[in-house]
Amino acid sequence: MDHAMSDLKEFITDLVVPHHRRSVNINQDHITMLEGSKIKKQHSRKRRAHKSTTLSRKEYAKLGLNTLPTKQMKYEEALPLHNLWKGYVREHLALREGGEVPEVHDPRYDEFSKQLVKLDLHGAKLRVTQSKCSTLENLSGICVMDTKNVLKLLGKDHRLRTVPKSECVFGLKVGNMEFTIFGQHLNIRPAERSVKKIKNFVEPFM
Amino acid sequence: MTKDKKRKLLAQRHVSSRMNFLFQASHLMAASHQAKLAAYYGKLCRNVGTKAVMHMAPALKRSLCRRCSLPLMPGVNTELRVAEENPTPQAGEETRTASNGEETPTASNGGEVEKTKKKRHRRLPKNRKKKVEKKEEPPANPNESQPEIPLNALFLECSLCQGRRSFTLDNQRECWLEQPQSLVQVLSLPGENAGQ
Repeated sequence: MDHAMSDLKEFITDLVVPHHRRSVNINQDHITMLEGSKIKKQHSRKRRAHKSTTLSRKEYAKLGLNTLPTKQMKYEEALPLHNLWKGYVREHLALREGGEVPEVHDPRYDEFSKQLVKLDLHGAKLRVTQSKCSTLENLSGICVMDTKNVLKLLGKDHRLRTVPKSECVFGLKVGNMEFTIFGQHLNIRPAERSVKKIKNFVEPFM
Repeated sequence: MTKDKKRKLLAQRHVSSRMNFLFQASHLMAASHQAKLAAYYGKLCRNVGTKAVMHMAPALKRSLCRRCSLPLMPGVNTELRVAEENPTPQAGEETRTASNGEETPTASNGGEVEKTKKKRHRRLPKNRKKKVEKKEEPPANPNESQPEIPLNALFLECSLCQGRRSFTLDNQRECWLEQPQSLVQVLSLPGENAGQ
């Protein structure tokens, strides 16, 4: 405080004409310090309030939630997910013991195939049957993550592989049934798939 | 009309079964320590709900973390912890220490500058106090008659994003064990008595 005051006195006396400097007498009560730090504090408060409620996309990505490690997951760890998925499929497609899958001429066929498209694929055992890229063919694994353009399959060799949807045809086994999924028509965000209207007739690309 | 309604109901059933599956999957993954996948499934479950305009049951909704939608399971993911101190006295202490720190060097020089500084320091903590009080007031309303009882807060901290889900302890509630109306019957196990 002493130091600051003497600094101030010096500064003020320097402003006065030299031959009057001796007679300068500063009353300390007349000094008011101004500290301009208000704006910053308001800013920080707002930010903090924002932080507590939701994550922004940037923060979400920074936490690494959009990516998965490729070699850390074991195939056995995904098996319970697959078992859970089996139960879900049975509920979703209304499959019963002894029931039959509707044929093309069946009136139920339309409904059934629509439900098939809306099926959630997390936990399904998928196999790439055809692909434009020959190295992707015959890859198989449990689907762990499903994004708009890509499926992430966890293979039996404990590796997570990223497979683009649009270039591939997937084979899916449910019980004793086999389905063929054209990946091109799967290019919807997984959250929107259950809401999106689906055309009755779509063309396979191969 | 009836056919439309039926179709709508069917669609809703499918969406709800999907959400149910995703919710279970996220819990499964959280239990097997795959935090990222768990958060992803939780988020997806939420998103499906918002897209299809369907509400989760509030209790289930709250079991997901508010920020990253990782399911918070005490004992598996997180621990239920007690917040160390009440925020109100802490703020008070801070101001005291701050003012003390200011005073010791300035004590030799009594002046207006010092006073103004002090004033500024006082103002800020006051604002803080007010804010804190506002936050706590809604759950503490029944407690106002007995202000001596401190309100301890329990919280679950998310391991991924450090978001907190806090609970307020209110011993005026009916389910509190100290309240006489909450006790219906006292049973003691025979094994315990033999041990004593």
